[in-house]
Amino acid sequence: MKRSRIALAAATLIMPTLASGTPAVTKSAPPPPPPYAGVYQPRGVDEIGMWRDQDEEERQLSKSPLVIRDEALNSYVKGVLCTAVGPDRCKAARIYILRTPVFNATMAPNGTMRVFTGLLLRMRSEAELAAVLGHEFGHFESRHGLNRFKAARSGTDLLSWAAVLTSMSGSYQAQSSFNSLQLSVYGGLFHYQRDNEREADLLGLGYLNASTLRPQAASQVWQNVMGEAEASASARGLRKPRFDAIAFTASHPPDAERAAYLGALASPEGASRDDGAARYAKAMSSWLPLFLDDQIKLNDFGASEYIITMLSSGGWTAPLWCARGDLYRARGNQRDLVAAVEFYNNAVALDPKLPEAQRGLGLALLKTGRASEGKAALSRYLALKPDAPDAAMIGMLTAKDS
Amino acid sequence: MLSKKLFAVAFAAVLFAAPATAQERTAVKKGFDLANGSRKTVLVMRPTVRVGAQSTGGMFEPNGDWTEQSKKNIELALAKIQGKLGNKIVVAPEAFGDGARLTEEYAALFAAVSQSVINYQFFVGNRLPTKKRDNKADIFDWSLGSGVANLPGAKDADYALFIYNKDAYGSTGRKLLQAVALLGPGIAVKSGEHAGYAGLVDLRTGDVLWLNADGAMGADVRTAEGADKRVGQLLEGFPGSQPEKTSVTTSAVAKP
Repeated sequence: MKRSRIALAAATLIMPTLASGTPAVTKSAPPPPPPYAGVYQPRGVDEIGMWRDQDEEERQLSKSPLVIRDEALNSYVKGVLCTAVGPDRCKAARIYILRTPVFNATMAPNGTMRVFTGLLLRMRSEAELAAVLGHEFGHFESRHGLNRFKAARSGTDLLSWAAVLTSMSGSYQAQSSFNSLQLSVYGGLFHYQRDNEREADLLGLGYLNASTLRPQAASQVWQNVMGEAEASASARGLRKPRFDAIAFTASHPPDAERAAYLGALASPEGASRDDGAARYAKAMSSWLPLFLDDQIKLNDFGASEYIITMLSSGGWTAPLWCARGDLYRARGNQRDLVAAVEFYNNAVALDPKLPEAQRGLGLALLKTGRASEGKAALSRYLALKPDAPDAAMIGMLTAKDS
Repeated sequence: MLSKKLFAVAFAAVLFAAPATAQERTAVKKGFDLANGSRKTVLVMRPTVRVGAQSTGGMFEPNGDWTEQSKKNIELALAKIQGKLGNKIVVAPEAFGDGARLTEEYAALFAAVSQSVINYQFFVGNRLPTKKRDNKADIFDWSLGSGVANLPGAKDADYALFIYNKDAYGSTGRKLLQAVALLGPGIAVKSGEHAGYAGLVDLRTGDVLWLNADGAMGADVRTAEGADKRVGQLLEGFPGSQPEKTSVTTSAVAKP
């Protein structure tokens, strides 16, 4: 019993240190960007060790088949980061665009930034992308990776001692104190991580406030995320997701909270600035079909439909109609196939030379019992793209007797 | 959006999650024999070396200085041991572009295959029934596929040697915890982790010809002498080598 008290005393000693790095999220004034201290080098055994590990991982990453190496796309994304955080800071980061249809970006302690194509698909403007990239850069500038490693280490160190002391005592009460200690240590670590995310949010917004882009976009990112989550849930018949609740193991603050404080702290005089939506749409236009195709294959109808509808807010294009047709054709109910035919027809009307639209149209028509029209569309596909990888298979469908 | 890996590691590593007992095992593909002095060329792929400390709670603490030092030591030790292996050892050339990507993919594939061997054929606990049968029938049949022939440097060599080595030296806190846990409640806490494996791959067929896995090695790789010993342990039972101990003639000879 005495020992359990020792363990608890130790807990109360250490928990404040776990939380000491907690930034106070002041919600009164927009945060200024922190003074730039120059590109930093790792200091101390832990940080040097982490950087070395990360250097090795980056070495592998740079050769990964997932990385999109297109020079134009890479320099564009890097340019957006530089606009957000300034030309000095952005030298510290190396960006790798990964073909992964998930809304995410990460920053390693040594300055390796991974940007997922699912993020590029969901952003609507340079300002939105800059908000996310600035957030990631904030993690780097504030050494969050290192701090979390240290916090996790102190937490697990404490727990191992507590576990040994508890088993020495062996009493029921000691066990129960250990259980609550375990909960508070893990809870503290998750809480610490969420606070890091808040701090990075504010740093990202600070860069954006000081940049030439519209800082209000940061809040828009999270509103769109909530919209997509709602659309995804409702298409699956699930209950509306809650955006204000914090789960015990949540790694990030709830979306609604982020949207609220980012909106409130965005510099009001920045509201009239350009958000670079047109430039962004132009840079992504040739990549959209690929990104959309990957997204559709996730089999998340509501979310994909939400994204396509969002993208079409500036006007429907042939690739967008085609993607919508693919989405409906993939779900594949008879009513979906009929709808898909309509969407592909819209795409063909806008661009008769788009081979994918002809292909989808032909396949959808075949499945709705309009064989002769379908074969004609498939023949047009083969004429437009004779060296298509599936040419032989489609050729079988267009044969006279089939 | 930092990676969640850190927490996963923290959770997994916490406390007495010591893996099974000391384990070491070697296997040779049936019918393969590399006679000493057969003048074959062995291509040594870039060894994977991670050296650090183990925190009191069991987390791996990477140490840049130790890793650099150990890597250098292991490379030097490999060059020294060449004579004993009875064959020519060539370090794989640093590749660029597509060659580098291919090398990276095969390194990852070898890591996955050797992990499968270790988990499903070598050590008690998780072995597959089919692999247990293989063990009885002396069968060791794994391959990376004949695509290995396209690896940079493969044209001028016969075999590729892959080496993986991870060391976590128990910190003072971990050792203290170990002592207290043993003296008090009598719990065995493992301090330090020294695991590694080495494998030989046929550069024509891609077959894994020999694999040696050791979950608990000795010697301190941070020193030159230690690295010599460690490389000796990693290459224990290398076909055609002249081991100090009795030679391993049959395949799959090891402690259980």
